[in-house]
Amino acid sequence: MECSGATTRMSQGVHQPARVSDEHYWRKDKTLTVRRFAAAAAAGIVLILSWRYAEIRPAAIFEPGAVAAVWAFVRGLFPPDLSPEFLRIVAAAVAQTVAIAIAGTMLSILIGLPLGIMATPILWRRGVLVAGEPPGASKLLLAGLSRASRALFGFLRAVPDLVWGLLFVVAIGLGPFAGTLALAVSYSGVLGRVYADVFEDVNVHALEAVRATGASRAQVFLRAIWPQAVPGITAYTLYSLECCVRAAAVLGFIGAGGIGYEISLSMRLFDYGQVLTLIASLVALVALTDGVSRFLRRRLHANAPAGSFAHQSTRSIRGFRRRLMRHESARHWAFNLIIVLAVAWSFYATDLFDITRADSGVLTRVFRFVGGMFPPDLSPEFLRSLFVPLLQTIGISVIGTLIGIAIGVVLALPATSTLTLGDDADAGKSSRLGRIARWLIYLSARLTLNVLRSIPELVWVLVCILTVGLGPYAGTLAIGIHTGGVLGKLYAETLEEVSPRPVEALRANGARRLQILLWGMWPQARPTLVSYTVLRWEMNLRVSTILGLVGGGGLGQAIYNNVQLGFYSRTAVLIAVIYALVMTTDWLGDRLRTRRHAV
Amino acid sequence: MIYSLREVSKSYPASGTVVNAVNGFTLDVQPGERIALLGPSGAGKTTLFRLLNATLRPTSGTLRFDGSDVGAMSGRELRSMRRRIGTVYQQFHLVPSLTALENTLCGRLGYWSLLHTIRSTVRPTKQEREQAMAALEVVGLADKYCARADELSGGQQQRLAIARVLMQDPEVILADEPFASLDPSLKESLASLLMVLVTNGKRTLVTTLHDVETALRFFPRIVALREGHVAFDTTPAEISRESLKALYDGDSESNGSAARDGVQWRDDKNEPRCAPTCAR
Repeated sequence: MECSGATTRMSQGVHQPARVSDEHYWRKDKTLTVRRFAAAAAAGIVLILSWRYAEIRPAAIFEPGAVAAVWAFVRGLFPPDLSPEFLRIVAAAVAQTVAIAIAGTMLSILIGLPLGIMATPILWRRGVLVAGEPPGASKLLLAGLSRASRALFGFLRAVPDLVWGLLFVVAIGLGPFAGTLALAVSYSGVLGRVYADVFEDVNVHALEAVRATGASRAQVFLRAIWPQAVPGITAYTLYSLECCVRAAAVLGFIGAGGIGYEISLSMRLFDYGQVLTLIASLVALVALTDGVSRFLRRRLHANAPAGSFAHQSTRSIRGFRRRLMRHESARHWAFNLIIVLAVAWSFYATDLFDITRADSGVLTRVFRFVGGMFPPDLSPEFLRSLFVPLLQTIGISVIGTLIGIAIGVVLALPATSTLTLGDDADAGKSSRLGRIARWLIYLSARLTLNVLRSIPELVWVLVCILTVGLGPYAGTLAIGIHTGGVLGKLYAETLEEVSPRPVEALRANGARRLQILLWGMWPQARPTLVSYTVLRWEMNLRVSTILGLVGGGGLGQAIYNNVQLGFYSRTAVLIAVIYALVMTTDWLGDRLRTRRHAV
Repeated sequence: MIYSLREVSKSYPASGTVVNAVNGFTLDVQPGERIALLGPSGAGKTTLFRLLNATLRPTSGTLRFDGSDVGAMSGRELRSMRRRIGTVYQQFHLVPSLTALENTLCGRLGYWSLLHTIRSTVRPTKQEREQAMAALEVVGLADKYCARADELSGGQQQRLAIARVLMQDPEVILADEPFASLDPSLKESLASLLMVLVTNGKRTLVTTLHDVETALRFFPRIVALREGHVAFDTTPAEISRESLKALYDGDSESNGSAARDGVQWRDDKNEPRCAPTCAR
């Protein structure tokens, strides 16, 4: 190579030739320590077991029957059913989904707020407020209650919302009310935990000052903690409303009403034109909620949850409210009235008011259901029968995530604007036609990602069942497809956000796209990409516990069967198993993420 | 003639108006020349560099590199042209999470085929590694070869950026403030090093410098930029205090900010301020 001579010449002219050897450097990664070997072996075993228990049959997708089924499905989607009668049904279903989401969020605020206050360590367990308290039984009791509510949040969050939904459907019957309660339980765990964290993150000096004036704990909370926490609380509550809309739509699959119910009905009736209309309206609804939530957050000047909301000054939100009070009081009242009306309507639409009547018998049924769970069935035969579904669940999540990574990578590269579109000098003289082609590739990759991502996993399961039949393989494919959409978007955005400077330098060296990607973008983006992927695997594990509810294999199938057959004592064990599994995964995921960052 | 620029302009759209960063720039560069570009902040030096290394295309005018028109080049031709031009960026533009050795290897990317890229991403060849180590040795960073670029000090990053260009072994070196992050003694030795490399390798060197003293000492040709075009193009001997003053006049930022004993004051954005006072 021409460079070698030149470099040697340079070095001879100026300095001594290289003395430090770089051999060690390149060997460093190759050394086979016991630890590394064990990790590789474990990964291999997990992979083989996952492959086996998820019942992966790659050829099954390409069998003539499967291809024909997909073709029939795709052909059936068109034309979408836009008849007035059906649109009326869609509108009712959308309204019901929205009602479930609003009522569920409202209830989870009502449950989550007091519990969140209870779980805030700074109020009950440690720090300036507690340090001065005299020791005693009440102090210990409060600290214990605080810890207990934190643990409760963990439990409520770990059990997937669809499992809660199934339990409530059995306990109190089909319909939107069960869905609302499922959201309320599941999201009170999420919100309670977040509220507690927000309360904990406030500026401590303010608490100390208020405390020093002789204020009671309640006064400290209202005067010093709450005002600081409002922006964060608002942002997170709106964010959870968005999540609730998605969740409410999906809850319908197990009979809790709304869009999901209509989708599963139309799927079973093989009326794919209706399915397309319903999916389109679901995608539109989710997009609309995102838009409304973003608008509200901007108006309230509260930061997005991902941001450092704790540092957001409360001045802006107070200023906003003061402005409303002074100059826009009419608008302010209209705003509040809309919220009150929306909540009241959502309660009405989800039958919450009916339940309060004594003769509804809901409480009796719930007590009977909970009573049936005890004592849990710990017989060896039953526990042994859980072995296969448990491994299936893990296998589905692992292989599903791997498929998702593959789809995500393939779609993310054309969807990365900095790679696909490049800059004007790169276009060369081929210019216009080439540029149009690039834009087309970029846009179609983005569109595909959006479609994969917007359609919930459970809908994908139903589609995959058409192709490869009931069982874990369908669930795995469904998770893979949905995850591909989610990860592809995250990958593309991460690659777009790397520092452009090294990229420019490599381009100026004459590097090609692939070289820029491998040597300029990937090294910068790697920690974020790994972290997103591990996080997504944790979420997929939760999802794979519920796929069985619609025939996608795993523990969900066992839950569904036992609940349907009225074996509540076994259901209790299954819930405990899911809880343990999710907790283990979260712990493992945390370890993987932190380790990767350190490397 | 390695570079031949005729009435080259580059404009950007900016908040309603169009900014002409480089405006009717005409310049000829012979192979083996050493040119220092002087000029106040915002004179278009950085944009000119991007035009010269073909990461930007001129809005109008013609830019010829070694006789061929850059505006008419295909993607492949652009790449092989860029390979012959090494750029030392003012902010170094290193890949932060790669080691010094890997950053040095990046200089070779333009020479690698796709297959070779994949192979070398896993493990570069022995020859490449030795070249990279030699380049690091030249700039005095050999002992830091496995440190990540973002762990290095500013001066070390500067030297690493130079090592990457050595690795690239280009015919033309474009250096944007290559000594800005170095302390005086290091600046001296690195400037001499750069000169030796350029002279021995029959390379062409174009640098921007805010330090007029260094420019006058090391460069036989001084080109001054003002508002995107050539203000004067001359030899150090013919430069007068007045012409420098006229060049930097109106750059209010520079007034009063003195460059004492080679210590340069720079603002947040790392833009060099000019120091007309130190010129004799």
